[in-house]
Amino acid sequence: MKPAPFRYVRAGSVAEAVAELAAAGGDAKPLAGGQSLVPLMNLRLARPAVLVDLNPIAELERLEVEDGRLVIGALVRHRRLATDPLVAAHAPLLAEAARWIGHGAIRARGTIGGSLAHADPAAELPCAAVALGAELSVAGPGGARTLAAAALVDGAYSTRLAEDEMITAVRVPITAGPVGWGFAEIARRHGDFALVLAAATAVPGRAVVTLGGVASAPLRIDGELDPQQREEAIAGLAARCVELCEPAGDVHATADWRRAMVGVVATRALRDALRC
Amino acid sequence: MLGTSVPRKEDARLLTGRGRYVSDLRLPGMLHVAFVRSPLAHGRIRGVDADAARAAPGVVAVVTGDDPEVAGRELRARSSLSSYVETAQPLLARDRVRFNGEAVAAVVATDRYLAEDAADLVVLDGDPLPAVVDARAACAPGCAAVVHEEAPDNVLVRRRFEAGDVDSALAAAHLVVERELRTNRHAGVPLEGRAGVASWDAGDGTLTLWSGTQIPHMIRHGIAELLGLPERRVRVLAPDVGGGFGVKASLYPEDALLCVLAIRLGRPVRWVEDRLEHLLSASHARDHVYRVRAGLDADGTVRALDADVICNAGAYSLWPYTAALEPLMAGGLLAGPYRVDHYRCEVRGVATNTAPSGPYRGVARPATVFVMERMLDIAAAALGLDPVAVRRRNLVRAEDVPYTSATRLVHDSRTYGACLDAVLERLDYAAVRDEQRRMRGAGRALGVGLAVYNELTGMGSAASAGPRMPFRTGYEMATVRLDPEGGVTVLAGTTSQGQGLETTLAQIAADELGVAYDDVDVRMGDTQGPYGFGAFASRQGVIGGGAVLLAARAVRDRIVQIAAHLLEAAEADLRVEDGRVRPVDAPDLGISIADVARVAYHEAHRLPEGMSPGLEETRTYDPVRGTFAAGAQAAVVEVDRTTGEVRVLRHLCVEDAGRVYHPAIVAGQIEGGLAQGIGGALHEHHVYDPDGRLMTATLMDYLLPAATDVPAFEVGHVDDPAATVTGARGVGEGSTLGVAAALANAVADALSPWGVETNTLPLTPSRIHAALEEAT
Ligand SMILES: Cc1cc2nc3c(=O)[nH]c(=O)nc-3n(C[C@H](O)[C@H](O)[C@H](O)COP(=O)(O)OP(=O)(O)OC[C@H]3O[C@@H](n4cnc5c(N)ncnc54)[C@H](O)[C@@H]3O)c2cc1C
Repeated sequence: MKPAPFRYVRAGSVAEAVAELAAAGGDAKPLAGGQSLVPLMNLRLARPAVLVDLNPIAELERLEVEDGRLVIGALVRHRRLATDPLVAAHAPLLAEAARWIGHGAIRARGTIGGSLAHADPAAELPCAAVALGAELSVAGPGGARTLAAAALVDGAYSTRLAEDEMITAVRVPITAGPVGWGFAEIARRHGDFALVLAAATAVPGRAVVTLGGVASAPLRIDGELDPQQREEAIAGLAARCVELCEPAGDVHATADWRRAMVGVVATRALRDALRC
Repeated sequence: MLGTSVPRKEDARLLTGRGRYVSDLRLPGMLHVAFVRSPLAHGRIRGVDADAARAAPGVVAVVTGDDPEVAGRELRARSSLSSYVETAQPLLARDRVRFNGEAVAAVVATDRYLAEDAADLVVLDGDPLPAVVDARAACAPGCAAVVHEEAPDNVLVRRRFEAGDVDSALAAAHLVVERELRTNRHAGVPLEGRAGVASWDAGDGTLTLWSGTQIPHMIRHGIAELLGLPERRVRVLAPDVGGGFGVKASLYPEDALLCVLAIRLGRPVRWVEDRLEHLLSASHARDHVYRVRAGLDADGTVRALDADVICNAGAYSLWPYTAALEPLMAGGLLAGPYRVDHYRCEVRGVATNTAPSGPYRGVARPATVFVMERMLDIAAAALGLDPVAVRRRNLVRAEDVPYTSATRLVHDSRTYGACLDAVLERLDYAAVRDEQRRMRGAGRALGVGLAVYNELTGMGSAASAGPRMPFRTGYEMATVRLDPEGGVTVLAGTTSQGQGLETTLAQIAADELGVAYDDVDVRMGDTQGPYGFGAFASRQGVIGGGAVLLAARAVRDRIVQIAAHLLEAAEADLRVEDGRVRPVDAPDLGISIADVARVAYHEAHRLPEGMSPGLEETRTYDPVRGTFAAGAQAAVVEVDRTTGEVRVLRHLCVEDAGRVYHPAIVAGQIEGGLAQGIGGALHEHHVYDPDGRLMTATLMDYLLPAATDVPAFEVGHVDDPAATVTGARGVGEGSTLGVAAALANAVADALSPWGVETNTLPLTPSRIHAALEEAT
């Protein structure tokens, strides 16, 4: 469990990081919290020739409100998401999702940019970001671009980021009216990756459920919500979730169980979102 | 000292980071080994191409199974059981690989990074052969996979235990229940994995192996035989060891290969396994299937038990315990603490293309207790009886002792019932049943489950005959030595993997000698010390402790003899306490042990006529039969019926460990075993895919119990001293035995309104949910 040989560079700025990534011709990886990348390297499942350490880049740690959005730098750690008052005020769903990640030591190092870029199908933050309609600021050799969180992932552990691109920030829209939210997850043990998870948001008349752990990417399912028939509406939307997902089985749980649990977590998350 | 929780001798060292583990050892010129492991579960090896690896930076050597020094050597676990098929385990796979993770080459380099880089370059060219991972499939007629040609049906060992007239008893029974039960495949996962440093001294032809082994003396024998070295020129040292739980009680090919490499290269070589290697290639355990019929009277009396047991032995019969280890234990102890006169149990150890099975805390009994206790609950439900009543009706009672079981084991425990009573009282059984009714009314599924079990510990020469190995592991040896200033060193044949033996052996010696605990040091885990068989079967406290007691007693007798001579007093008028030999009628006078020791060494001319100088004695202790430790557990769980999740609300355990040397150490053993048991019941399970690839080779997939899975345990004692010399009964494995049983019974009890049974482990949410779906 020792990594294959690699070169290590510390990037002082986003421009420097992007230049290093580009110079390696596809054989470099940004290093953020290292909580996914380093284990993969130790297992030799990842073998980047160059490791570009983003940690010295101070601007990636920003956390502020700008133009009606909560802007979260790529290096903001899970623990900060879970505890920062700005996140609690403007994206409480994200704060709650971060609390479900791993254990204290992992939350202290792991970053939002790393989690999104890693694109684990069972990870909390990609689902929360999709649920909240977040956008990503992406930097590359050609400059900056914006990518919807919902468009980031194109398969399990795979994204639409080019090899010389990196996430610099996550922008979460701050909505004007009240938004209900809920988050529910089932894991084997406390702190494990989710077997199934659901993030729900609700505005009057509509609700959206984003599912994790049941597809290669976060699965977004929305529906009408008749306020007069809330219970039926919740049941109906949860049933749609079950119907529309095709989870796989693995050593932790069968596909049938996962599918059944989609209904359970969707219902729990929707109940919370609708405060009932 | 005995009976009090004195500060542990090892704590100052272990808790301040000053432990001396194998991986802390740095020898001049030391090289590092990385193994190349087979991705194939079963295949014919056409070749192993190591050219690129040999040319890689830092590489000193690469060896494969064809290497002449490797090819000619294989481990053979021996047994004279008539049905046993002896097979060989190569040091590196040659011609054939038999499991995913088997070592096919070893790379030696100047550091482990470079060794792993080069190991990456080794190419195994192999043709896949049909693989079999399920033991029942492996011994079914026509199985396409044959693991060893010597055993065309893959059965490495079989044995039938039989007593009474099972068929008539079953025919006459009021009720016969028949079930199939399965237990899950476990890994040992000690904090410290396997590790070894081998060093060859060409100057005097001696080989030294530092190893995390639980069995240094047996390892020495195996290695000397394998390498053709005189046993006296092989020294095995087990320094501080970070847990073993049985998986370090075998001689592995990797250990032996390190020795081959050290001799060949003339430089020390080191191998510290990583977690991936541990999960892939250290021994697994408890992958069993039980088909059981139990015949009972209407009052719950068990008339007969008829069982067919298949234990997955994995790809090799591990040295020294053989593939018979689990099957024999299962067949010998399936009835546990219950009286069953008509008993038949057919056991088989079956080879498959999976990691070899070996000892793991409890050896088979966590499985047999689960089976027996489930059968009792299933029968109780069918008969409309309370689970407690059925157990009370069948337990071996105090008045039955000595009770000879159907498998000819002699029970000396009088406390099975007392343990159960103590658990029920502490649980407040009636109150829990009331609570269960209340909760059910509110739609919630609360359940309570029981388990009563026993463990044959401190197995002496008669009790350890069963496996018919060339080793009768029935005794331990110890030396108690005073130095010229009266300080005491205990040299013991035991080994410690963190169980606190330095402390307990010092307590025994201090008490017996009448000296202060702080004046006693204990040294063990070195084959240059007294002989011993090592850590397994909860034997060291009982047997090793007994040897220390006998040696200390002999030294004390010598001290009294010398003091009597010096004081011109009669021995009978002297007693030893607080470091002095005192006349009974004038306790302020007398002579210090330090002065006696000084005379024994430095003024030997003052010793009694004919007594040789020095002050040390060596004794062995063999309890011949061994002794039974008893235990009972109760678990209270709540099952979430929508998800199948189990929450352990309470877990109680009352054990009879005989005389307790050190209450905190005993509590630690019991609580550690319970936590391990909860992991085993709820989470842990090694899974191979049908092609024989291990799917659970990291700790993200092989799930250990975490703090949040484990409730605050409620532990109690019934201390009935055994007839062993110290009065102790073994306590190392005991509590692990009852956990799966109690939890499975509790979950089944919680779900009894829906008729759900829990006969397959582990009790995962997905499995429980499926059972509920099926039932409703
Ligand atoms: C024991 C354990 C348990 C865990 N449990 C959970 C869990 O329950 N839920 C969960 O979601 N996660 C869990 N994780 C993973 C953890 O959340 C990681 O922190 C996260 O997935 C990756 O973030 P990181 O900052 O550590 O990224 P790194 O490991 O540094 O990088 C991950 C990947 O993202 C890339 N990357 C990093 N930053 C950027 C960037 N700014 N732009 C582009 N690419 C980038 C890297 O090159 C790499 O490919 C667990 C990890 C461990 C070790």
